[in-house]
Amino acid sequence: MLLLGPINILNDLLLRFFSQETITYFVWPLIQIGLVVTLVALWVAYATYLERKISAFMQARLGPMRVGPWGLLQPIADGIKLLVKEDFIPENADRWIFFFAPYIAVASAFIVFSVIPFGPDWAVIADVNIGLLLVLAVSSVGVLALILAGWSSNSKYALLGGLRSSAQMVSYEVAMGLSLIGALMFARTLSLSGIVGAQGSDSIWFVLYQPAGFLLFLISGIAENNRAPFDLPEAESELVAGFHTEYSGMRWSLFFMAEYAAMVVVSAVAATVYLGGWYFPFVYRLEAAGYHNLYVIVSLLVFLVKVSIILYIYFWLRWTLPRFRYDQLMDIGWKWLIPSALINIALSAIAIFTVQALNGWRNMKTYEFLDRGLNLTAQGKAIAIVFGMAGLFITAFLMSRINWRSRDFNLKTQRRNIRLVNLPKGKPAVSASEV
Amino acid sequence: MHQVEIATTQETLLDSPEMVLNMGPQHPSTHGVLRVVLRLDGETVIDLDCDIGYLHRGMEKIAENRMYTMIAPYWDRLDYIAAVSNGLVWVETVEQMMSLPVPPRAHYLRTILTELNRIASHLLWLATHALDIGAITVLLWALREREEILKIFERQFGARLTCHAWRVGGMPNDAYDDFEKDVRQFTNNFPKRLDEYETVLSENRIWLSRTVGIGVISGPEAIAIGLSGPALRGSGVAWDVRKSRPYAAYGDMDFDIPLGENGDTYDRYLVRLEEMRQSRRIVVQALDNLPDGPVNAKLPKIVKCPAGDYYHSIEAPKGEIGCYIVSDGTAQPYRVRVRPPSFVNLQALKQMCVGHLVADVVAIIGTLDIVLGEIDR
Amino acid sequence: MPLVTTPKPTWSQKLKRFFMIDLIKGLALTFKYNLGAITDKDAVAGKGIYTEQYPKVRPDVAPRFHGAPRLNMDPETHDTLCIACNLCALACPEDCIDVIAMDVEIIVAGKPRRKKVLDEFIFDTSRCMFCALCQEACPTACLELTQDFELATYSRAGFVWNREMLEQGRDTVKYTS
Repeated sequence: MLLLGPINILNDLLLRFFSQETITYFVWPLIQIGLVVTLVALWVAYATYLERKISAFMQARLGPMRVGPWGLLQPIADGIKLLVKEDFIPENADRWIFFFAPYIAVASAFIVFSVIPFGPDWAVIADVNIGLLLVLAVSSVGVLALILAGWSSNSKYALLGGLRSSAQMVSYEVAMGLSLIGALMFARTLSLSGIVGAQGSDSIWFVLYQPAGFLLFLISGIAENNRAPFDLPEAESELVAGFHTEYSGMRWSLFFMAEYAAMVVVSAVAATVYLGGWYFPFVYRLEAAGYHNLYVIVSLLVFLVKVSIILYIYFWLRWTLPRFRYDQLMDIGWKWLIPSALINIALSAIAIFTVQALNGWRNMKTYEFLDRGLNLTAQGKAIAIVFGMAGLFITAFLMSRINWRSRDFNLKTQRRNIRLVNLPKGKPAVSASEV
Repeated sequence: MHQVEIATTQETLLDSPEMVLNMGPQHPSTHGVLRVVLRLDGETVIDLDCDIGYLHRGMEKIAENRMYTMIAPYWDRLDYIAAVSNGLVWVETVEQMMSLPVPPRAHYLRTILTELNRIASHLLWLATHALDIGAITVLLWALREREEILKIFERQFGARLTCHAWRVGGMPNDAYDDFEKDVRQFTNNFPKRLDEYETVLSENRIWLSRTVGIGVISGPEAIAIGLSGPALRGSGVAWDVRKSRPYAAYGDMDFDIPLGENGDTYDRYLVRLEEMRQSRRIVVQALDNLPDGPVNAKLPKIVKCPAGDYYHSIEAPKGEIGCYIVSDGTAQPYRVRVRPPSFVNLQALKQMCVGHLVADVVAIIGTLDIVLGEIDR
Repeated sequence: MPLVTTPKPTWSQKLKRFFMIDLIKGLALTFKYNLGAITDKDAVAGKGIYTEQYPKVRPDVAPRFHGAPRLNMDPETHDTLCIACNLCALACPEDCIDVIAMDVEIIVAGKPRRKKVLDEFIFDTSRCMFCALCQEACPTACLELTQDFELATYSRAGFVWNREMLEQGRDTVKYTS
């Protein structure tokens, strides 16, 4: 079923005004979209606040404190400030493209939320059975917005910055897509709700089967979002601010929101595919006990907590690690992540094949059935987990063989190669008798 | 503004293989108003020219019209990050020209405070260098340590940054009451903080990729250009004015000089970190052996230097800063010339940057530790 | 081709590289700071928050601080301590002090004498570099640089202080929140 029906109380209320069909296909999705857009917009705004606070705590300072108690109204103040700024379009800029580029970025970041499962029953807007493909495809449209923004600004530096950012994003999208395939082999479906269901029915999180896949997805996701340590195109000041140099006011803030929304998307997809989405081991007891709506709301909270943890990792990495240079960045994307993702796919396939092959060998039962999701038994899970962990080591070993000539790889850990010498003292500038 | 050697005409991006990029005077990463014109082939730097003079304030000319004791506050504004050592070079040059004996307690206090000043300058260097390469948290942590030193300066001299620390013949005031307590508290906390910076940076693979092998200059080349300070010692040349021509109380101090091996950015980074440790060692020694006595000498009514010329240099945090005074016997000098370390060190920029990428230029400017106040005077 | 020669890595170094120990150590330190900001109270030696929330919290200014100038008065007679000797104006490198004296007639031991007293004292704080040479030059400890650092004004003329402003202080708005 493509569109899930609304909760029963609300359904009964709406039935007084509309027919059931209108509700299911029109009114309820509108309500859901409204809620999701509001939620995501607030989340994005407060993600900027949290970033400032968390970065401040890591740096032994306070962060925003003046606007509202503990600075909680800071995003709202920022929004108002950006709204009332002068709407400035550079002189020879391509007006319509300049106008539309931020909207394309924001739209592509927000459309993805329509397929992400926030919770089990009615907490998904559209449970499309190619959900993951839609996510990857629509987030690629965001790259178009970058190029358009850089081009239409009529500035040498904005154009170069835009091209570099988009080249980086495109390279890492390949790695992102490939790294997801390993988990898909275990889930047997592209629908995001189905992936969560597969993890739920198996009572396992795919990160245990696919640690390499999780790491690869996270790293390529961070690079996709142009976040540190991969943020050279936008933070390194030799090209000022990259593609959004010429943007100011609300248009700039739309790009900013698009960036943070894309971060939330990557975190949500990582949480869904690898960390079990809204599934948490003991929450199902609420459903079994009959509290259906409470179950959905608790699952929603579980999902939000997981996404927040991954967002914290984003902030943590940004404020600790230095950034890569652009050529090192592209090196990592093409020479390390993509081969690792391919090796990961091969190893996952071997893992599943092994699980199937070992079924019945020495009376070992490794799976129940394989149609929807995997449903492995404990022995099957153990085999898959062992393959997952071994995969990390095998991938690392193969990568080190492939990249044996890479300069950065050969740096290893330097010994401290400074030495302390105690030079003989020379003649002082003034003789001792004068001192 | 001198004529920049690289043509800055607008060439379209698509026609020529080379591009001229201007890292203009207003730039977050050039540590002051420095204009660097790069000629790039793609991302590789093939030529580089610096354009300085945006901060020229005519200090040497001002000095020709002021009396010797009144020039000292101007000298703080040269290397405004490490003002105490600038004041020291001026005051010591005048004292040596006049053959004025300075009491030993003043020498020891000068040593302590100049070494604290060296730590403060290196902390700011570390903060901005890490910021340019992307580790933003180190900026805030290093500024916190620097804040402690600036508090000590405020309580001792009355100003945090441009201190006007020394007077001809010694210091204006003795150490304030809690001086020893504050300095010992700082030296007790400092090694732990340095270890924290090393944890985040020294072994970090990203930091190593950004700094190892970048901006290499060998020992003989460094001597040929005239580098001094940590930029020279990072290339393995053992030269430190504190050891070769001791001034103030350095003759009595026991400390080591860190030397690098490869002359790249990473070595200079390690050298400066180690210098901070050695500076702390000097401060503790000097504080332990602080003699009693007066802190300033008796001066004539009007301070005059005998006619003639004199050059004296000290080891500022950025290199060897020198002061050359030509006096005609009156109360105002005839000509004063500053030998600024950053000006000479900046000449190595082209040699260090050619062949690297644009993103490395920022790292190399950071590792040379230049301050435009000195370069432009 | 690496520009620097590096030794071949040992097994422990390889494992450390695989498990990204160098990155994790840095991340652990920042995490400790994050927790310390919430729990730790010691900002100087520990991991607490170092911020001083000015203007809510007035900063600790040192007694020797070179701040706004002030002309001190004798506490009993409430006369100015300035003897119009002009030493401060001569000591100033920037020539921002102008001491205007006038002669008054006083009777000393029955004979009329002329004494120099201070008429007007102009101090241009916009040219001043707060080097405290004037404070050191003053023989009667009249001119003193106080701990006031909030010298902003809305006009250039507001930077030039006259005798009354130097003696009584200015009317400024102190923001405390």
